[in-house]
Formats: sequence, C-alpha cells, structure tokens
Amino acid sequence: MLPPFLERALLAVVLISVNASLTGTFTVFRNASFLVAGAAHAALAGAALAIIIEELGFHVPVLLGGLVFAVIASLAAGYAGKGKLNRVEDLNTAIAVSFAFSMSLAVLFISMIREYAARVWGLLIGDLFLISYSDLKMMFFATLTVILVSLLFYRAFMFVSFDQEVALAYGMNVRLYDYLLLTMIAVSVVVIMGGVGAILVFAMFVAPSATAVKFARSTGFVFAMSFLISLFSGLFGIYLSFQLPFSPGAIAALTASSTYFVSAFLKN
Amino acid sequence: MRAIKTDEGENRRKTGAEVKVEVKNITCAYNGHVALKDVSMDVMRGEFVAVMGPNGSGKTTLLRAIAGMIKPVKGEVRVYGSISYMPQKDYVNPNIPMKVWDVVAMSILAKGKKFRWSVKLSEEEKRAVEEALRAVAMFEFRNAPFTDLSGGQQQRVLLARALATKPDILLLDEPFNGVDLPTQEKIINLLSELSSRGITVITVVHNVSPLIHHVSKIALLNKTLIAYGKPEEVLTAENTLRAYGVSIPVTVCEEGYLHPLFGDIHG
Repeated sequence: MLPPFLERALLAVVLISVNASLTGTFTVFRNASFLVAGAAHAALAGAALAIIIEELGFHVPVLLGGLVFAVIASLAAGYAGKGKLNRVEDLNTAIAVSFAFSMSLAVLFISMIREYAARVWGLLIGDLFLISYSDLKMMFFATLTVILVSLLFYRAFMFVSFDQEVALAYGMNVRLYDYLLLTMIAVSVVVIMGGVGAILVFAMFVAPSATAVKFARSTGFVFAMSFLISLFSGLFGIYLSFQLPFSPGAIAALTASSTYFVSAFLKN
Repeated sequence: MRAIKTDEGENRRKTGAEVKVEVKNITCAYNGHVALKDVSMDVMRGEFVAVMGPNGSGKTTLLRAIAGMIKPVKGEVRVYGSISYMPQKDYVNPNIPMKVWDVVAMSILAKGKKFRWSVKLSEEEKRAVEEALRAVAMFEFRNAPFTDLSGGQQQRVLLARALATKPDILLLDEPFNGVDLPTQEKIINLLSELSSRGITVITVVHNVSPLIHHVSKIALLNKTLIAYGKPEEVLTAENTLRAYGVSIPVTVCEEGYLHPLFGDIHG
C-alpha cells in the first residue's frame, strides 16, 4: 500500500494531466494560451482572499475562491476581446494591465494574511504532497466537468478554432463557445494550481499540448501525447522529489516545459 | 472551354429569372469606419459574379454582409436559398492537424443553428463529402492532415468544404490566392460548371482576367458600387479609373472578351 499522501499526489497528477490534455489542447488550437496566465493570476488572488475569509472565521474552500476569481477574469478577458479569442493580440496592453491588476490584488490579499505563510507559499508554488482530500475531491469534480464539456462540444470547439469566419457564416454561436472555453480554462487552471501552484500553472497547462502539436498528424494524437507528456512530467517530479530535496511541482513543470524546447530544437 | 453566355442571364431575366441575392442600398461599417456605402445589386440564379476592386474597397465586407456575418448599418440583404462561404485561406488556423475528411465534414455538421449531438455522418452525408472532395480532385488526400497540404491543395479542400452542403449560393473570398495555375484553371472550370447547373457563384478576385470567359457579371467596388453588369460594360476606362485611380489597359482576346491588364496595379 502506498502512503496516503503519495496516493493523493499520484491521483492529482492524473487529474492535472487530463486537464492539460483536454483544455490545454483546445487552448493551443484556439491560440489563446496567454489567457491561461491571466486566469492563473486571478486564481491566486481569489485563493488568497479565501484564506483571509477563513482567518476571519468563515470556511471557504481555497480552490473555490480561486475558481470564482479565475472564471470572472477569463470571462472579462473574453468580453474585452469581443468574443474573438484569436484576435485578442490587438488587446495586448489591456490584457497586460489586467494581469497586473489581478496580480496586485493577489499581492494585496497575501500581505493581509497574518499567519499561514506556508499556505500562501503553497498557493504560489504548490505542493503535490500536501494536497488534502477535500482539495482532491474538488479537483476530481472539476475535471469531470471538463471531460463532459469536451465531449459535448468537441466539434464546436474544433470548428471555431479552425476557422471562426466560416463558423460564423454557418450560424454557429462563436461567442458562446468562446465563453465556454474560457470557463473551462479557468476550471482547469484551478485544478492544476491545486497541484503545482499558480506560478507553474502555465508550464503544465500549455507546454504539453504546444509540444504535441509540433509532431501531430492528427488531432487525436495531440490529446494523447499531451496527456502522456504531462503524466510523465508529474510522475518524474514525484519520483525525483523522493530521491532529492526538490519540489515535485517544480520538477514536473521543468520537465514539461523542457519537452517543448527540446521539440522546438528537434523540429528546426 | 465552356463559356457562360451572358445572354442566358438576359433571357432568364425576361422570363422571370429567380433572384437569389438582393442587396438593397446597404452601408456597412466597422467601429464607425465605413467599409461599404450605398451598395445595391441583385444576383440571379446561376449567375457567376466576380467582385473586384482595390485593397480595402469593401469586397470581403460585401461577401460577409451577404453571408449574414455582419449586419449592415443601413439597408438590407435578402437571400433566397442556402449559402456556403469559403474564406480567405489566411483566416484558417494553420496549426490544427485535422484530417482533410473532417475539415470537409465540418460544414455539414455545422449547418444550421441547431445543435447536433451526433458527430456521425449519415450515408448520404458521407457521399456528399466524398463528392465534394472528388469535385476538387482531393479525394485521395482524405486521410492526410490538412497541415501537410500545399497552399493550393488547402484551398481546394476549403472549396470542397463549401460545396459539401450543396448550397444554392456559393460565396468565395479570393479562392485563387496562392494557388498555382493548373489548380486555378480547375477551380474556375468547376465554378463555371456549378453556375451552369443553377448555383449562384459570387467570388472576390484580385485579377478577373482568368475568369473573364466564364463570369456573367462583374461588380466593381471602391467603397461604393462603381459599376455592376456584364464585363464589357463594367471594364471601361472611366470605371477602372474611378475604382483604381488609374486607368487599366484592356486587351481583347481572339474570342472577343475584354481582359484588363493589371500588371503591377492590382487591388
């Protein structure tokens, strides 16, 4: 039998990998990876606020606080982009400022947290070994939602990503699907943040799919390979942190982002 | 080469030709910038119309308005029949390794606003995808990833996707961009055949010369509709001067068609 903390860590890695594969791939296809960073900043602010509320004596699940903020920030970004995710380049400045806004909010909230410095540290860089059962339960249900939405709207996401123009011409509600994807990004960001922390979300979220798409000859391949890259990175992180005093999340994120650079090198 | 005589169009009109697209005095604007002003035109069943004009003259905007993708700020567009739209290739995400077959099937699965739960095609729909791919000679590439194809092949697949829904009205935006000459010729012949079968074809082009034997009408745009009618009526020195700011020399081929010589002056 595995020790419970290890069991939870391994389960979390599997859940993270499902999110990295599904939402990560849809995000890369939609050219919207920068929104992930935005959602992660917002999730950090929300999670910090949840801790403050907890200090005041009301129990709010930390990841739920993160989720609410991430969803709000994602939908706001979508609204600013007028439902055209792939054209949001024009809004670079607005997005950079909104990152700064949510990050300032996060810093403000963190500075208000008197005790529990370790928990804040956990939010930032995460710790796969400190995941609680209630965290895991939430991550599980969030992941289930992501799987369900992916199955139901696979075709729509693909069409809208492949070409928005024609999706519009055929009367598809591009905006609705974009908001759905944005919500999914927010949900997945929070699941992954639960495991590796806000700073490393981007690496685990985007790198596996971005690597997979370089070698892909079919869309199914991208989903499968990004799942495997993410799973391998997570397991490798856990394994190495047993041998050496390393943070498992950091090793996982480092592995995932390294595969991207190695693949870029191999491709050129 | 089979040319569509514009007289046919005339005859149809006399015998009560069927109007497929009615553009009534539309003005379109993006963020307050007027892209198209007071444009009116009717397109009949089976007509093959080339839309030309310099860059930024509102060609794509006109197509988008007909397709219902943008709402005119003034005037209205009426369309009688189903529409397929083929965008400029640049609008397509080049990084999604979708199979050619799935790209073509996309239009069938998306048709209509109704949500479709099943992604499985019926036998009839499969035949439609196959026919469309064969029409553009891309059937043998059905299992290849779209990303592996050359620009011309991608263009043909996008055309197949537009054909797969068997539209009454086909709208094409620069279907010859980045396409080699043999492919261009194939596409033109295909469009010409479709229009002779009663499908209304409206295509935006940079250079109308390669199609001139086939088109029934030309719409010359520069924010407003400068001229609309048979090629020989539209391609006058006065009209091209108004559209392009320079008069474009025109040569007459053996078969008696006017060919504008765009040379370096292109839209």
